[in-house]
Amino acid sequence: MRRLLRALGWFLARQPLGAIGGVIVLALVATAAFAPELAPHGPKDVKFPAYVPPGAEFPLGTDHLGRDILSRVIWGARLSLYVGLASVAFGVTLGGLWGVIAAYFGGAADTASQRVVDVLMALPPIVLALSLMAALGQSVNNVILALTILLTPTAARTLRSLALSIRESAYVEAARALGCSHWRVIALHVLPNTLATYIVLATVNVAYAIVVEASLSFLGLGAPPDEPSWGAMLTAGTQAVEAAPWMFLFPGLAISLTVFGLNLLGDAIRDITDPRLRGGLG
Amino acid sequence: MKTPRSLALLLAIVLVTALGAPGAVAQETPRRGGIVTWFDYGDPARLDVHGESALVTQQAVAGVFSGLLQYDPADPAKVVGDLAEKWEVSADGKTYTFHLHRGVKWHDGQPFSSADVKASFDRLLDPKFKSPKCGAALKPMVASVEVLDANTVQFRLKFAAAPFVPALGSAWCRVAAKHVLAKYGDLNRPEAQIGTGPFKFKRYERGNLIEWERNPDYFIKGLPYVDGVKQYVLVGGPTQLAAAKAGKVMLWDTWPPMKKTQADELARARGDAVQVSQVSINTIYVVYVNTRRPPFDNPDLRRAVFLGIDRQELIAKPLEGAGVPCALLDPKLVGDFALPLDEVKKLPGCRQPKDADIAEARKLVEKHHPKGLDIEVAVRSVGNYLDRAQVLLAQLQKIGIRGQLKSYESAAGFAVFGKGDFTMIATQDRAMDTPDPASLFSIVYTTQAGSNWGKWSDPKVDDLADRALREGNRDKRRQLYWELQRHILGGAPSAIPVGWVEGWFFVDKKLRGYKSALSVYDNNTFMKVWLAP
Repeated sequence: MRRLLRALGWFLARQPLGAIGGVIVLALVATAAFAPELAPHGPKDVKFPAYVPPGAEFPLGTDHLGRDILSRVIWGARLSLYVGLASVAFGVTLGGLWGVIAAYFGGAADTASQRVVDVLMALPPIVLALSLMAALGQSVNNVILALTILLTPTAARTLRSLALSIRESAYVEAARALGCSHWRVIALHVLPNTLATYIVLATVNVAYAIVVEASLSFLGLGAPPDEPSWGAMLTAGTQAVEAAPWMFLFPGLAISLTVFGLNLLGDAIRDITDPRLRGGLG
Repeated sequence: MKTPRSLALLLAIVLVTALGAPGAVAQETPRRGGIVTWFDYGDPARLDVHGESALVTQQAVAGVFSGLLQYDPADPAKVVGDLAEKWEVSADGKTYTFHLHRGVKWHDGQPFSSADVKASFDRLLDPKFKSPKCGAALKPMVASVEVLDANTVQFRLKFAAAPFVPALGSAWCRVAAKHVLAKYGDLNRPEAQIGTGPFKFKRYERGNLIEWERNPDYFIKGLPYVDGVKQYVLVGGPTQLAAAKAGKVMLWDTWPPMKKTQADELARARGDAVQVSQVSINTIYVVYVNTRRPPFDNPDLRRAVFLGIDRQELIAKPLEGAGVPCALLDPKLVGDFALPLDEVKKLPGCRQPKDADIAEARKLVEKHHPKGLDIEVAVRSVGNYLDRAQVLLAQLQKIGIRGQLKSYESAAGFAVFGKGDFTMIATQDRAMDTPDPASLFSIVYTTQAGSNWGKWSDPKVDDLADRALREGNRDKRRQLYWELQRHILGGAPSAIPVGWVEGWFFVDKKLRGYKSALSVYDNNTFMKVWLAP
């Protein structure tokens, strides 16, 4: 416990902005985890009067269908975090494995796989995501699948370049000389050395995935319309910009705050894990 | 001397008042030139006015084609001739002879004749051709169409039918060229939009723009006044409202009407430049269930949905209260043919508070599905349908039905509904083709109805609708329609009525000579409108 507190103190001293980001992310995680307990009403309950401005009864007001915006923002955190974490878990992990394996073995397979990455990276991400959603249909799982496809090539390219240098390092050569199989070398010596980059990549991409999910939902191609998605709430808010500005204000703030927090935390982790920045020169 | 001076003053006041009155606008001399701009709520994709039922299709080609008859642009309640210069009815009311305008030309220069009228209506009346609007309305009434000579055509009816002329005047009963039908087989593609109307079809950019240009050879000399019409495809209320506020569209006289908050926002933005008015748009709002698929092949579950949905809430929330909940026919539109609203409001399914109906509906669901029921609910993502669908899902949840929304682009949704490939359609507005009560039943409720997507067939409905169509005595006809409404509202139909839709329209005050029709389909030709400076 003391070690943990000391580590936290060190983090706070070295990365105060990162600590703020961490607090925001922690709050997001807690909100998502305890949404049923925190939300005063069901996110889909339409039983209240419409367009009630923020006040004592409804702190963030109600929307055009008479739903409590606070409850929807809270449940929206769960959806956003679920989509963000799941798509990053699949996309960055798959992409990372792809990049590391391709880099380690090299040769024609590596060249061919990098051309596939080139093709995927050449497509504008939002257009690719929209096309995928139009083809797959609207559902939360399809959003995760589309995001996975979107995140995989970037992760593959980034971790491949790292694995290329690890492959040439002395300890990998030593492991090979001792007779370790390729897969053992990858599992025990290459992958662990990409972990720091993987974590940074994952943190930054959770924010990116949340923004893309919100964008897809804003355009009507994300989560199903009745799901409490922040992006879909923004769309609904545009119907009554003058009459009920709170409808788009609060989900917009939630998105901004989440992305801000995740980016601060991601930057801090990058700074800590990057030996060039560790000295505090940046 | 006092009296003449007072008289002169009085005369002066009368003159000034008369010149300043709105009626004075009608006395202005129409100006030539300019482009009218408005919008389609979605992309039509298919343009065959005979074979489709979406307003976007009808609107896309409204000014391109002419009908035999039309609703008078200057007096929307009256049916007048269009391609027919005049017509007469036989003594028994079963034969209508139409005398056509001479010298009319198709937009490709070919001469128009009675053969084109016969080819069009033979197509519309062909039992094998699915014509959800004009064909569905005329098939029960018309026995045959005969050519008497190049400029005369005769319609022989199965019986004397009062709704025949109103139905023939519908904007869906357009006359297409025989040679075009022969060449293309249908009217879907842009090249097939060869009409005799005031405008030629100029351009169709999918998902973006439909453009017409003035037909210099229009058979009514001097018309149209404007050089063209541009219809932008604007999907979604915020986009439509933004265009209206920016003055990019000159009128909003189409589905979906504006909601109160939108109308207020527009009025604040445009001030005196526009005239905003509340309107009934002659459109029923229904929830469809598919009688050919489980679980709604079971009448108990259809009845459960009928009872469980809260019509007042569905009108109050997504439509911001603009509508007539529960009515199967709207008294504002068809007068006493509609079952009195006092009676309708007391019926199960409409009565408030809702508790007894919800308990009964829950019981019906639990009888067949003790653990509740999961269904897919289809919805077209146009207008405010997604909002309506979300309220509906919350209501279904209360009776043990858990719905998962599946949304479709406009034309794709219609294609799916037409094929019967759905379990429930969360919401669909069906606009009436004519102000006659027969329109509702030929569009939605009879076995052969053009939008009977749930494939419901009730012999009593068919019989009553047919008898009401044939009945010449108004009082007896009213009694038949009342019986029909009571039967549907007391049963388990596949098209579950929610109510009638109302809303707000606007017209830019620069647009002169335009009057709203009784149906959103009519008076979309812009043949007599002109633009003030």
